[in-house]
Amino acid sequence: MIELQPKIKFENVSKSFFNTSKTETVLKDLNFSVFAEEFVCILGPSGSGKSTILGLIAGFIKPNSGLVLFNSKPIQRPNSSRTLVFQDYALFPWLNILDNVAFGLTTKNHSSKKSREVSLDYLNLVGLSAYKDYSVSQLSGGMKQRVAIARALAVEPEVLLLDEPFGALDQHTRESMQVEILRLWSKAKRTVLFVTHSVDEALKLGDRILVVGGKPGTILFDTTIAVSRPRDFKNPKLVTIRNQILEKLIQPDLFMGANI
Amino acid sequence: MKITLIRVTFYLLLFLFWYLFIKLGNIPSYILPAPIEVLSSFYYGFFKGSYCTAIFFSLVRVLIGYFLALGVGMITGILLARYYLLDITFGRTILALQSIPSVAWVPLALLWFGITDNAVVFIIILEAVLPVALSTKNAMKNIPPNLIRAAQTLGSKGLHLYRNVIIKAMIPELVTGLRLSWAFAWRALIAGELFISGSGIGQTLELGRSLADMSQVIAMITTIGVIGFLTENLFFGTIERRVRNAWGLEGR
Repeated sequence: MIELQPKIKFENVSKSFFNTSKTETVLKDLNFSVFAEEFVCILGPSGSGKSTILGLIAGFIKPNSGLVLFNSKPIQRPNSSRTLVFQDYALFPWLNILDNVAFGLTTKNHSSKKSREVSLDYLNLVGLSAYKDYSVSQLSGGMKQRVAIARALAVEPEVLLLDEPFGALDQHTRESMQVEILRLWSKAKRTVLFVTHSVDEALKLGDRILVVGGKPGTILFDTTIAVSRPRDFKNPKLVTIRNQILEKLIQPDLFMGANI
Repeated sequence: MKITLIRVTFYLLLFLFWYLFIKLGNIPSYILPAPIEVLSSFYYGFFKGSYCTAIFFSLVRVLIGYFLALGVGMITGILLARYYLLDITFGRTILALQSIPSVAWVPLALLWFGITDNAVVFIIILEAVLPVALSTKNAMKNIPPNLIRAAQTLGSKGLHLYRNVIIKAMIPELVTGLRLSWAFAWRALIAGELFISGSGIGQTLELGRSLADMSQVIAMITTIGVIGFLTENLFFGTIERRVRNAWGLEGR
């Protein structure tokens, strides 16, 4: 039997930030693996180090100890094989929509015609090709996030990292974007790590949920959701998982700074 | 259209009031000349006299000073943004320097450079450097960190990152600095020119005073105002507005 190589592997990863006054350990002894084409939701309260995990994978942050491996090699610096989508979209306001999507391609040696075609394809994929000449400020929040996702996919990353991507959107837009991201994921299969603090969002989207919490943050719970999509929250399997997650999240001593 | 009409009427009334004030008040022309005398000073000055050369030499001085100030200012700004120690020491001093009016530097400049162009250029640089330095510093510090991270995660680094993200993100704030700096340079130019020899707007103004030619004095003051308005508001103002629009900073 062939052993499957993890796409991303955390080995005893700890991360601390140094303030002027004190040292804060955000993550401690993290161990987990993510496999190719998995849709993993990282769930936890704010300040639990969820975003730090994405920063480590993206390559913005280096661990103080332990290893973050991508295709079995330690991650050194940011690279377009692992693109990150931000909650505040981080689109370039001086570029129009199409040029935003094409940005990553301009770093590669594509001809401008080729990168234009590729960008249009991805803009089409998120249903916004009619807006290619618009400026960023003319788009709504949901549309901006679609552009940001198209931009991240256009460089054909192996791993797509999403940091609370729908956190700034209203409930209705948020729900349609959840459907949208699943559609995109089924069309362009990628490894996805999706950070959220919404239990329902994680239950709706993930193949797997990693619950992060505590101070310093550790993985409290790691569960696979073998329920086909679209998911019905009344499904007994989901109800069980939901209760297990909530139980982990509301253990009071997690928020009192005590170690478990 | 209606606004234009109101403005034209306003200026006509102003001139009429000015004319009547002089006629009825019996004001001597070395105190306040009639509008027609000022107009003829303009006419003779521009077509037969030295007003054109004066403007030319003044513009050369101010442009030299301005561009030198931009170079020095941008480098200073970048250094201030990068080195905290420099910012809390020298950066503070710059803020204090900004409250010194340009004319206060004239005696120092004259002693160092004599009554030459160099003295004026020196004063212009001193004045114009500060807004550019401060806006470069702020522009660098205010780049949204997520824009840089987004670019990096898409594979941008090194020169590509600088050219396509860092500089672009700085432009709106930089343009504001460039406009302010120009306004400072223009004021410093006139202050300096009052004291030096040679041809220039300030010198022509000062010559008008020494000949008790009030028409020339008013003509030069008007010229200073008009050129200042055209460059500051029309030229730089338009660029600033366009940039802010293109960067999506202006409400539409």
